[in-house]
Amino acid sequence: MKKNSRFYIGLVGVALVVTYLIWTGVSDAMVYYLTPQELLARVSTDPSLHEVGLKVSGRVVPGSYQPAREDEPHRFVVSDLENSEVTFPVVYEDLLPDTFTDEVEVVLEGRYGPDGVFEAVTVLTKCGSRYEATPEELST
Amino acid sequence: MTALGELALWIALPISVWGLTLAFIGGKTDRGDLVLSAERSVYVVFFLLILTSLGIINAFLTDSFQYWYVASYSSRELETYYKFSGLWAGQRGSLVFWALLLALFSSVAVFQNRRKNREFMPYVTGVLLTILAFFFVVLLFAEVNPFERLPFVPADGQGLNPQLQNYWMTMHPPTLYLGFTAFAIPFAFAMSALITGRLDTRWIVLTRRWILVSWFFLTNGIVFGMRWAYEELGWGGYWFWDPVENASLLPWLTATAFLHSIMIQENRGMLKVWNMSLVILTFLLTVFATFLTRSGLIESVHSFAENTTIAFIFLAFMGGVLGVGILLIVWRLPHLRSENHIQSFLSREASFLLNNLILLGAAFAVLWGTLFPLITEGFTGEQISVGPPFFNAVNLPIGLVLLALVGIGPVIAWRKASRRNLTRNFALPIALGLGVLVGFLIAGVREGMALVTFAVSAFVTTIIVVEFWKGTRARARIEGEGYLKAITHLVSRNRRRWGGYIVHVGVVVVFTAFAGAAFDVEVRQTMDPGESVSITSPYGHTYDLTYQGLSTSRSQHMWQWVALMTVQRNGESAGALTTEKRHYLVNQQQATEVGIRSTPLEDLYVILAGLEDMQGAADNDPDSQRATFRFLVNPLVGWIWYGGLIISIGTLIALWPGRPATRSVTRDAAVAAGSGSPAGGPTPRPTQAEVG
Amino acid sequence: MGVFIGGILVVVGVVAFVLHPIVAQRSAPLGRLEDEPTEAQARKRIALMALRDVEYEFATGKLDEADYGSLKSELAAEALEAIRVEESERREASTSAGAEDRHPGAVELLELEEEIEAYRAGLRQAIACERCGGLNEMGSRFCANCGTKLLAAAGQGSEGAGEQ
Repeated sequence: MKKNSRFYIGLVGVALVVTYLIWTGVSDAMVYYLTPQELLARVSTDPSLHEVGLKVSGRVVPGSYQPAREDEPHRFVVSDLENSEVTFPVVYEDLLPDTFTDEVEVVLEGRYGPDGVFEAVTVLTKCGSRYEATPEELST
Repeated sequence: MTALGELALWIALPISVWGLTLAFIGGKTDRGDLVLSAERSVYVVFFLLILTSLGIINAFLTDSFQYWYVASYSSRELETYYKFSGLWAGQRGSLVFWALLLALFSSVAVFQNRRKNREFMPYVTGVLLTILAFFFVVLLFAEVNPFERLPFVPADGQGLNPQLQNYWMTMHPPTLYLGFTAFAIPFAFAMSALITGRLDTRWIVLTRRWILVSWFFLTNGIVFGMRWAYEELGWGGYWFWDPVENASLLPWLTATAFLHSIMIQENRGMLKVWNMSLVILTFLLTVFATFLTRSGLIESVHSFAENTTIAFIFLAFMGGVLGVGILLIVWRLPHLRSENHIQSFLSREASFLLNNLILLGAAFAVLWGTLFPLITEGFTGEQISVGPPFFNAVNLPIGLVLLALVGIGPVIAWRKASRRNLTRNFALPIALGLGVLVGFLIAGVREGMALVTFAVSAFVTTIIVVEFWKGTRARARIEGEGYLKAITHLVSRNRRRWGGYIVHVGVVVVFTAFAGAAFDVEVRQTMDPGESVSITSPYGHTYDLTYQGLSTSRSQHMWQWVALMTVQRNGESAGALTTEKRHYLVNQQQATEVGIRSTPLEDLYVILAGLEDMQGAADNDPDSQRATFRFLVNPLVGWIWYGGLIISIGTLIALWPGRPATRSVTRDAAVAAGSGSPAGGPTPRPTQAEVG
Repeated sequence: MGVFIGGILVVVGVVAFVLHPIVAQRSAPLGRLEDEPTEAQARKRIALMALRDVEYEFATGKLDEADYGSLKSELAAEALEAIRVEESERREASTSAGAEDRHPGAVELLELEEEIEAYRAGLRQAIACERCGGLNEMGSRFCANCGTKLLAAAGQGSEGAGEQ
């Protein structure tokens, strides 16, 4: 048993290193997942939300999309999935996914600036609608 | 035909339940007739699943849009080739496909062992039929029946998502599924070993080849997926740490650990509980991967459906497997004691054990990161996710240590190695590794992680090359053979070892390719026809790309805007590239096709990011050809595919059958045949006929 | 109609195929068959493989003399023990001498033994380097491993053994 104890120490050592890596990794890369409604409600009381990474899912408001021009980012407005009254503007520098349209459900990652504009780093279109259609959609 | 397929699915459930019941009863009561009936149920289930699959394919080929599944994944215009792949294009079909592959492998396993290893077979049959029965329950009762009818018949289907219309995408899911399902066989044998109490290395010897087969397909499935992402998703990357990608990586990590740890059990009679736990864990992770892709539990780029019934059934099944597995291990604990203990830190056992711990650590980190939103939601009520930075931060150091172990492990002897030996074996590789490090530093490379990766890769490569060289030389000397002959015999006489080394070479190549990503160059430019852009590759040469213009066309299926780029490398013409936007008429979806110019050292990757005026371009208005492009130079990307190929070759060598295992000779005959050869030794006699 | 008949045929055929063994009293074999390697044989195989690896590693210069000696005696003892158990088991199991090696692993075991012999024979023909312990062909002047001049080579015949 004594001989094996050294290996338990090794085991604990590996476990500790991995835990440490996970711990530091998580605290550096945490992204809060919020709905637009939650975001807007909480940011008014907790300005620290301007500082952290956010992941927000919502729907692009039809007609709000302005494609990127020379040195100008893409601009569009995103609304809450349940409460379409709640909206905020989004700017995005990079390429939009091909499935992006003017009314699609999107998942945004980025930061919510103090100026009330969401600076997106990634924009994903949600795949529930991308890969599978509901029978209701088919009937139209 | 389709109706027959539906019927087959309905009778497959009672047959599999009948079979699994009889298998367990027959095994318990030693009733050979019951066991035979159970084994026939396996064949029957396979047959029924063929009918079901043919039914689905038939529905696709005949455009039977009254079926929800066909209407959602096909359209009249879809190419026949993709209609066939409709079987695994969506959740419902792929569950059938999973079951089909499992039934295929089960039938092969039962057939192979119809006259041998009979003590294992009743429970192997029982376990496999249990898994199959579970999938039938899911298919029939979790609202995912592929034969579900719509209340009306749509005129046309939705069409297949254009991003799934890619060669690699039709290859990727089936390959991955082959890997997932093949692992059910080792799992079934392990369970059978626990139930029957035959807990020596027999179950490992019998399933070793299955494990390799599973690992082979898992690896290829992952590589195909990367290839698809690279060519089709158009962001220039190949791995996104997406939950679905992670789900396929998890069983790969634990299966890799398992491949190594069974060697310790075979050689040293240790780690029996560990191996049992790993086989259960890996099987659970294959089910988990299927579940994750098919339940929409976690936000993901490609997890499709959201369905809570299926989530509950899957969780219940996984919980059941875990519970039964743990109970069986605890029950057999007295028979799972180690026969030996590790003698020294400096031994191959210890290095394999470390490799196992690290692989499991990596798997745990990936699982943790993937499930993090669920965990935080459970504890704090809000979903917090972690993105690629987390996975990179954790897995880079882990990967580098693993890579170093790839080199260290094989050189350290079993049991114990002395320090003298280590210095002797490691002096040259370490020197070369440091040389590479210094060389790159002098060349002005300052990317820390990439530098370390290159150095470690050189270290490992040297070790493996020296291994081959020493082995060949020793054999050439002892058997008096030429070097070419010696190396062939060397490999063929111990395929597992040398095949494994070749796999390791492939792993080194792939890691080097990952490190290459640190040197990616990206340029974005909006251009009018005739304008040029210049990009400097990290190797120092320059690409000049000139936008020649846009051609627009409309075919039966889609609109296409094709941008033509001519490429000059250091001022000399180097061909042309096209990149295009497509608009599919059937589902009104857009897709981008990227242009890739591959060389062994780097890829030039061009993306048509956006068109200023798509409508104008479609009308062939010469003034609306202005477009935005993204240009990437991705060094060493191709090495991932080459490395993957090397890994596949190594795996195939390791699992290639020797001569027929049942050939029996009398001792005298064998000695007579053998004694002629020690000195001249021209007869190639592969050993290692691993019974499997 | 065709589908209906097809369905009935499938159901009937499948059920008949599955039930046939029970009705007709046909059994699948259940016990261990004679020609399968026993646990003792498996042990013997592993011991021999380990021994072969040690010989191989010594021959390729990965193990030095001292480690080789201690590992070899340890492994040889284990192999002998495994062989002894296996042989006594076999004697109990069968009296007919002709059938004794008719299990699938027999050829492999013999080949392993030969391979070990070959390595040992090769070793007897080699010179160990005084500095690093690496083995070299008879007649070599310099160690292929570390480059040291081999003293033993000077006195010995510089041809013959190298070719064997």
